[in-house]
Amino acid sequence: MPPTYDANTVPAISVSQLTHSFKTHQALNQVSFAVMPQTLHGFVGPNGAGKTTTLKAICTLLKPNYGEVQVFGHSVRSEAVAVRERIGFMPDHFSMYRQMTVFEYLDFFAAAYGLNLGQRDQVINDVLTLTDMDGRRNDLISGLSRGMQQRVSLARVLVHDPDLLLLDEPASGLDPRARIELMEILRELRRMGKTIFISSHILSELAELCDSVTIIDRGQVKFSGPMDALLNTDEAHPRFTLRLAQPPENAVELLQGIDGIVAAQVPEYSAAGEFDLEIDPEKDSNTILMSIIGLGIPIISFNRHRKQLNQAFMDLTTRGVRT
Amino acid sequence: MINGTQTLFNWSLRADARSIYPHVVRAVFAGFMLLAILAAWADSVGGMAPGLYFFEWLCGLNVLIISVSGISYFVSAVTEEKDSGTLALLRLAGVSPLAIVLSKSTSRLISALMLLMTQVPFTFLAITLGGVTWQQIIAAYLALAAWMCLVANVALFCSVRCQTSGRAASLATSILLLFFAIGPLLQSVAGLKGIPWISPRVVTACMELHEQQQLTSIVPRLAQIFASNSNLIMLAEQFWRGLGFGVVMFGLSVVLFNRYSEPLESNPHGSSAKVRRYTVGRCWKLPVIWKDFLFFMGGKSFLIVKSLGYVVLVGGFLWFHNLEQPNSSEWLSSDLTRTAFLTVTLLLSVELLLYSSSSLFLEVRESAIASLRMLPIQTPVILLQKIAAGVLATSPAIITLAVLWAYKPQAFLGYNDFPEMVVSWLFAISLSTHLCVLLSLYTRWAALPLAILLSVAAFPCIGGAALGLFTITETAAALNGISIGVWLGVGVNFVWMWLFVLLPIEIEIVNRWNRLSRE
Repeated sequence: MPPTYDANTVPAISVSQLTHSFKTHQALNQVSFAVMPQTLHGFVGPNGAGKTTTLKAICTLLKPNYGEVQVFGHSVRSEAVAVRERIGFMPDHFSMYRQMTVFEYLDFFAAAYGLNLGQRDQVINDVLTLTDMDGRRNDLISGLSRGMQQRVSLARVLVHDPDLLLLDEPASGLDPRARIELMEILRELRRMGKTIFISSHILSELAELCDSVTIIDRGQVKFSGPMDALLNTDEAHPRFTLRLAQPPENAVELLQGIDGIVAAQVPEYSAAGEFDLEIDPEKDSNTILMSIIGLGIPIISFNRHRKQLNQAFMDLTTRGVRT
Repeated sequence: MINGTQTLFNWSLRADARSIYPHVVRAVFAGFMLLAILAAWADSVGGMAPGLYFFEWLCGLNVLIISVSGISYFVSAVTEEKDSGTLALLRLAGVSPLAIVLSKSTSRLISALMLLMTQVPFTFLAITLGGVTWQQIIAAYLALAAWMCLVANVALFCSVRCQTSGRAASLATSILLLFFAIGPLLQSVAGLKGIPWISPRVVTACMELHEQQQLTSIVPRLAQIFASNSNLIMLAEQFWRGLGFGVVMFGLSVVLFNRYSEPLESNPHGSSAKVRRYTVGRCWKLPVIWKDFLFFMGGKSFLIVKSLGYVVLVGGFLWFHNLEQPNSSEWLSSDLTRTAFLTVTLLLSVELLLYSSSSLFLEVRESAIASLRMLPIQTPVILLQKIAAGVLATSPAIITLAVLWAYKPQAFLGYNDFPEMVVSWLFAISLSTHLCVLLSLYTRWAALPLAILLSVAAFPCIGGAALGLFTITETAAALNGISIGVWLGVGVNFVWMWLFVLLPIEIEIVNRWNRLSRE
């Protein structure tokens, strides 16, 4: 569960009116959103939507034409060094010195962040344990698989213990097992209190993982907010899926007779005993469930019908390649 | 096969026409020709043979450009397909090795020959300027065309043999340098005739090899053309040898194509982990120096090898001095001390150029610039640490120079041209290393030859101004009774050079570095 915030909480990332063009191509157009501390925030958009440009503006690599970006209250324009000390950026491509061993690579970055020998030993051991790469510390990076290189990249991002992790497509090109393992590591990092801003195309995993999400398309924000708000939007009557163990012949009529149920029907393609219910938004779903139990029919499940993130993404973004 | 060859050939020509690099080379060359004509016109006022002077200058430039193209332009004929991973696709499409080699090399050869062809009308201007005949012009261009054929096909072979453009460029550079260096070396050994410990057979073999090298090389052939006014053979042996070697190298490229076009074995699953058997120790407090010195510049083991190499080199000079003057009380004569100093300076220059061409390029190749820029270290500090790593890597050469200087300072201070030589070397090496670093951020593999070419072209202008300023400073100092006027001149020049030439390049290096980190 994401923590709760008061009005004075400083967002981990605050992007306001961010606008940037590459020659004649407008990459970002008044992009605004905020990411609260200790949350896992998904950043989703089609290819060429402006995700990487936004990420680069947040991590101080790109000076935007217009707009303000703040990281924990520090401006990326005027306080770049302060921002860099609090963030860890993992780009979408491998940036590694392949002739180094895993330990040498992490030692180099730890030293570059000004850690002394004792601190470096401690930190490297910790991040290798966290990323499950402890047994590979003396392996050359060139000999590691893609998934392992991705773990080393993540370990590198963590050596200076940043508060905010910016991950650009961290799961791209990984096999399903490596992806699941990476997502487990991210969950663990969130539990440790890190704020994680993750750009990804793998929507199903983001839906499970993220507390909040921003959808960007053609340089403009289409949605930004809690994941629940995205998946439950635009329904006049909340929909539920009910599954009964042994439904009687007149089950639809019985269900429609319950106060608060606006419509009940058997879905076209469904498992046996499954019903779609539309309920009155003014009524409490728990009261309706109690009424169904009162019918005396054994219930297997009663779930809020949620839109899939894939569907929300398709609804909000535009077809075709950006020109 | 014809279809495949034609398609690839057309595509290569179009790609060449669209690429900015060949057009820049042609434009620069046109500028050089204009300069050469101006210089010849200025010479004609003095009553020299300006036509011959202009033509000699142009031919020299052609040799340089053809040799540099060999290292940079022709070597990428096949490796550009390997670099982009499209060679296997061409093979799958049924294009034969002969079609690939023929189409990829011919388009480049035509483009390069066009550069020679377009010059011909202008060079006939040399006849009107006087001192050169049309037969000399035709013979020189035939010799240059044969030299181009040889260089292009040697580069093509390197392109087929190597997996990447960088390696192909290194191999082609080594072959060309070896070819040019072997002539004087063989001549020197041949000159040792009569020394008891060298077998006469070795001397004879060296003499014969030297003769063969001279018959193949473009330099003696051009000298021969410039020297003879009558009875000039148009198609001399150099022409046939150039053509013959070119055909042989082309044939070898086709025959060995399949063998060397297999993709490198990769290890996508990391099933057999690579473990290095030795450790390089913990990272230093200045991490970029540690990384560059150990991983980009060869590290401690290479430093030891280089140190031993310089000890052997100086030992060789000591031994030679002992052979020459067995009863001398000195370790090394002034002449030999100076020669040893110049030799080490030359090697130091080569080291500096190689490091400057690779230092930032390797960061680009490893896509590591963004990660480096994210560190809480300013870009100029990172670049300064890289320079420090270069100084550390070249320390054996620097120490050898210091030892030679300390052993006999009067060998240098008593030598009249020494301050001018120091100024020239400092200028040349500063300019070429700066250009090399900058160009390595723009091109994948041609930074070194391009930097050398640009330095050679820019040096007469910058060097002329520098030497003029040097003389003014020295004279002004002498008039005011300042005894260190010579070194004051060196200092003034260095400040001037840094402010107006090197600083703008440094600013552009930092800007380019920052731009690359955003890509």
